[in-house]
Amino acid sequence: MRRVVWHGGVLVVLLVLLYPLVWLVSTSFKPAAEVVSTLALLPSKPTVGNYAEVVDGVGGYGVLHYFGNSLLIAVGAVVGNVVSCSLAAYAFGRLHFRGRGPLFGFMMITIMLPHHVVLIPQYVIFQQLGMVNTFWPLVLPKFLATDAFFVFLMVQFIRTLPRELDEAATLDGCGPVGTFRHVILPLLRPALITTAIFTFIWTWNDFFSQLIYLNDPEKFTLPLALQLFVDQATESAFGPMFAMSVLALLPIGLFFLAFQRFLVDGVATSGLKG
Amino acid sequence: MGRVARRATSGVLVAVSMGVAALAGCGGDSADGPVTLRFVWWGNEERAKVTRAAVDEFQRRNPDVKVETEYSGYDPYFQKLSTQVAGGASPDLLQLDRPTLGEYARRNVLADLDQYAGKSLRLDRISPNLLAGGKVDGKQYAVAAGQTTQALVLDPALFQAAGVNAPTEPGQSWTWTEFADAMNKIGAAGAVAGTTDFGWAIDWFEVWLRQHGKQLYTADGKLGFDAADLERYWTMVGKLRPTKGVTAPEVTTKQDGGLQNSGLITKQAASDVGYDSALTGYFATYGQSLKTAPLPSDNAAEPGMAALPPVSFAVGQRSKHKDAAVKLLDFLLNDPEAGKILGAARGVPPNEDIRAQVCGAATGGNKLVCDHQAAQKDKMGPAFGAWPTGSSAIKRDFQRTYDDVIFDRVSVGDAARRVVQDAQQSLGS
Amino acid sequence: MAYLFLSPWILGATLLTIGPMVASLYLSFTDYDLFSAPTWVGFDNYATLFTGDERFWHAAGVTARYVLISVPLKLGVALAVAMLLNRPRKGVGLYRSAFYAPSLLGASVSVALVWRAMFSTDGTVDRVLAAVGLDVGGWVDRPELALLTLVALAVWQFGAPMVIFLAGLKQVPRELHEAAAIDGAGPVRRFAGVTLPLLTPVILFNLVLETIHAFQAFTGAFVVSSGRGGPSDSTLLYTLYLYQRGFTDFRMGYASAMAWVLLVVVAVLTALVFRSARRWVFYAGEDR
Repeated sequence: MRRVVWHGGVLVVLLVLLYPLVWLVSTSFKPAAEVVSTLALLPSKPTVGNYAEVVDGVGGYGVLHYFGNSLLIAVGAVVGNVVSCSLAAYAFGRLHFRGRGPLFGFMMITIMLPHHVVLIPQYVIFQQLGMVNTFWPLVLPKFLATDAFFVFLMVQFIRTLPRELDEAATLDGCGPVGTFRHVILPLLRPALITTAIFTFIWTWNDFFSQLIYLNDPEKFTLPLALQLFVDQATESAFGPMFAMSVLALLPIGLFFLAFQRFLVDGVATSGLKG
Repeated sequence: MGRVARRATSGVLVAVSMGVAALAGCGGDSADGPVTLRFVWWGNEERAKVTRAAVDEFQRRNPDVKVETEYSGYDPYFQKLSTQVAGGASPDLLQLDRPTLGEYARRNVLADLDQYAGKSLRLDRISPNLLAGGKVDGKQYAVAAGQTTQALVLDPALFQAAGVNAPTEPGQSWTWTEFADAMNKIGAAGAVAGTTDFGWAIDWFEVWLRQHGKQLYTADGKLGFDAADLERYWTMVGKLRPTKGVTAPEVTTKQDGGLQNSGLITKQAASDVGYDSALTGYFATYGQSLKTAPLPSDNAAEPGMAALPPVSFAVGQRSKHKDAAVKLLDFLLNDPEAGKILGAARGVPPNEDIRAQVCGAATGGNKLVCDHQAAQKDKMGPAFGAWPTGSSAIKRDFQRTYDDVIFDRVSVGDAARRVVQDAQQSLGS
Repeated sequence: MAYLFLSPWILGATLLTIGPMVASLYLSFTDYDLFSAPTWVGFDNYATLFTGDERFWHAAGVTARYVLISVPLKLGVALAVAMLLNRPRKGVGLYRSAFYAPSLLGASVSVALVWRAMFSTDGTVDRVLAAVGLDVGGWVDRPELALLTLVALAVWQFGAPMVIFLAGLKQVPRELHEAAAIDGAGPVRRFAGVTLPLLTPVILFNLVLETIHAFQAFTGAFVVSSGRGGPSDSTLLYTLYLYQRGFTDFRMGYASAMAWVLLVVVAVLTALVFRSARRWVFYAGEDR
């Protein structure tokens, strides 16, 4: 009985929560003229015309091309963030060294400055490095732990791990590197998975930096291709844009569905007893 | 770490403080060998297709010139362009509009085209009225990529249903009183408002000012009107609001010149004030029955309308290949083949020979544009002068303050005074 | 040894972060129009900000309201849903994904259009409210309500803090719960006595990060109001005004000054939270 109430409750909440998404999907099946002129949920005459236009491509390339570019950048960013942020987080969370407090404080400061004002100096740097119009400005920073968000996230998780574990590892003859590899990393899995999921999704959706650094339609990603349908000064093709938004959701939806299961096994089921 | 950090920091500082833009590529033309041009614009996929086709034709004829094209929507375009220019990566040929032309030209981003005019850049088939739109401080910094003028876009069925006539035939005109009566009648008929409230956009105020012998900005970049003028104008528009002659505040506030929010397109008004270059979009989105009328004027001798560039092309001041960029510009403007490919993607063609050719073969939305141009030929005066630096802020503050007016947060008089005050501050900076 | 682990971060900070930050600090003392060399003006930008710019104070007020409403709501919803989903039920993975789905969208043009459709006159919310007798009309185009639509958008996308809460909840050893249950603690006491204390590091994280993010909220307001912060400046968030100043008014020096003012405010607030955290955050791995 409690189970039924639980499922029922969750479903009602979800219904409200997902309504805008349903509207988005449904609108992608509306004929072009209806997309902007009506707010109705259902299309008067459902059509796949918008999807056909997306499949035809935009900006001179097929839609799969943009999927490929987005995927490449997102995967690169995931690898970079997971590796570099966990290293930095271990140092901040566990090791004692001179200047730990000030450096940590500085790292927190870096996420407090609105990025619009560092945009141009950063662009200058990548311009000097000859990296504009390549994927490097989008991936390289991830390997250098510039996403302080994730460093801080992992620091917070590491600090919840009992110190006795480190001490046991030290007794077993592990140095910091060994402790990191054999004790911390396995226990940090929920935070690593979280980092991977967020990095993937946020990179996938990131419009601003991809806009600034990628010039050539050949290098364009999904968010850039998406906005090729829209121009406030001329006539926008909102129908195909909605269709492409829906298509762009699928990979990250699947990615989340696939990876969220790993969130389930935390300390309780894996580390401690092993 | 300290030393490296300091070096990186000082590097960036030096670059920024010297004006990075000034550092990169001040060199003259290297005429020899193959050159690569970067050509950027904003617009939709349709505009991109024809522009790229024209560029392809140019490359076919000039194998030593490679043209890289970039395009995007309006807001991202300017976000990216300003970052690129600031970062020293200015494009060679770029597209600007009225609010941005002055801002860019007066900050030395654009090349003075006068030295090319009449030589590699042929301007003789473009009317002086239109060329005036590309001049800043008397110099030709940009050339119109097309021609547009103001229009009242209307749905004749809604006008007829309210028993109202609009001057849609060539040569016809109307006064502000006739216009107001017509809008009120449509509003009273109940289905929709007469027209989308047009008080928000400084563009239409500029027309009204010209009708009254004034201007938005003087030639030396000062404000050409006072608070009393604006108060009179906004009071005139405001009288239409309670009677549904113009749309309700909730509709008005989301206007941004784009089609998707327009009162006509969203079926909340029987007409829109706009530029005829947008007509192809209206035609495709709203339907084929649309007609156009001139803007009203109480001054028969001065309709206030202008032959304007919807967008202009300009050459980057720091371009290393100005000659090649001018060659491409000339091709886009004057080549019959290019004209045929480009059609009315940026308003009717600026070159009058090509315009005659394109309009002769026009159908659908393009025909609507051409017809409006032909019908309003005698009403179009010279293009308004380029707006001064600070005008982007003024344009935005104008709309923001109008929001306060329509939501009754401030009296019209106070609002007008605030606009003038803010504007003087923006111009001073 | 620690510096070995830190080396990527140090490299990134020196190469990509410090230079641009110092540059922006320098620019905040200059008149810089993006295209010409900056000219030193001392504290002029700051003086204008505090004494001669009504919109600055207006934007600060809008942002304060936005932060105060959206952060607690978002965190509350995220924690509640995380608790709801933190149990071994059939299909719980699917539910988790469904609750995360709104956050997949980010803030693109399509989200803006969806949101406008939900909250405009005759939009979904208007109709639902009208059906129960509340005739408010559209939200998104009304100065007094528009900010709430942005709050709703932020809260709707509560997926990130929810996932972090879930990951934190998974870190709570089940043995502790079992032990507490054997001691006769009910679900409420087990939550207050076991779960909550162990969750405090994650709560601290979410609180700090969501607050920082809310102060910098930009994209939602930018896309929903087409970059203007309307109607009547009611959604003119601080960063949006900063952006307008920097990129549409070509006053990047002024925008940089705004950025550093925001940084100081947020840093002070964060420091206060961290200080208070000594009293309420419990680290299992801390040397005591």
